[in-house]
Amino acid sequence: MPAHSLDPNKWVDKYSDYLFNYTIVRVNDREVANDLISETFLAALKSAKYFKGKASERTWLISILKRKIIDYYRKINSRKGKAEVKIHYSEDYNEGEWLEEQVPDQFDRTAEDEMENNELGLAILECLDSINEKHAAIFKRKTIDGADTEAICNEFGITPSNLWVIIHRARTALAACLEKNWF
Amino acid sequence: MSFITKLFMIDCHEANNCCDKAQYKDAKPLEKFRLYLHLAVCKACRKYTQKNRKLSRMIKKSKLETCPEEKKKQWKEQITKTYVQDNV
Ligand SMILES: [Zn+2]
Repeated sequence: MPAHSLDPNKWVDKYSDYLFNYTIVRVNDREVANDLISETFLAALKSAKYFKGKASERTWLISILKRKIIDYYRKINSRKGKAEVKIHYSEDYNEGEWLEEQVPDQFDRTAEDEMENNELGLAILECLDSINEKHAAIFKRKTIDGADTEAICNEFGITPSNLWVIIHRARTALAACLEKNWF
Repeated sequence: MSFITKLFMIDCHEANNCCDKAQYKDAKPLEKFRLYLHLAVCKACRKYTQKNRKLSRMIKKSKLETCPEEKKKQWKEQITKTYVQDNV
């Protein structure tokens, strides 16, 4: 029996936040990110029969998403490339050097920090996977969405003291998990 | 136990609860006062508070977002539709 199996009905609840946070720093556009995630789910369903169960569901979905992101940049670049031939051929540069080639140099500290913070975010989401699903959802509503205690209590049918017990356990588990996996 | 002591002294369990609330700006002024008073005398809770604040900073730094429920619903429908189609 393979180590991992696929359960498409749970993909959205389990992985959509992870996929979104992975994508948004890479494409910087919500609309595009959502479309890429849509395409990823569909592509995953189409190739589900080739899933061998060696990687986890999440790793497998991310590998599909990565390809979608690369395809997206390829499409933009081929479009941009044609336009840029006319516009950006600067005389200050050596022959054949494109302004566009300067872009990687601007990938500076800020961008590096941003990627590291994003990785931290993904680590947090991964850690939340190991706690009770409903508790993780409550923790996210409170901590990431910043929702009101009262609103969350109504939504999940719990009392404020229930909520604080859940939050406390989630924070303790999360801190321990990050201690182990992040530092 | 004097009235004052009863009013302001809390145990570690209560102190941690106040500390959790403070991470979300949900602690009332009296709760915060009790927490600080407790922290002055309890090393274990000082340690917890420190760890808890660090976690808050990390979460803030990560700039995590969740997908809107609407979008999730849309994706779920899309998956169910395709899944059923492919498996009939
Ligand atoms: Zn204490």
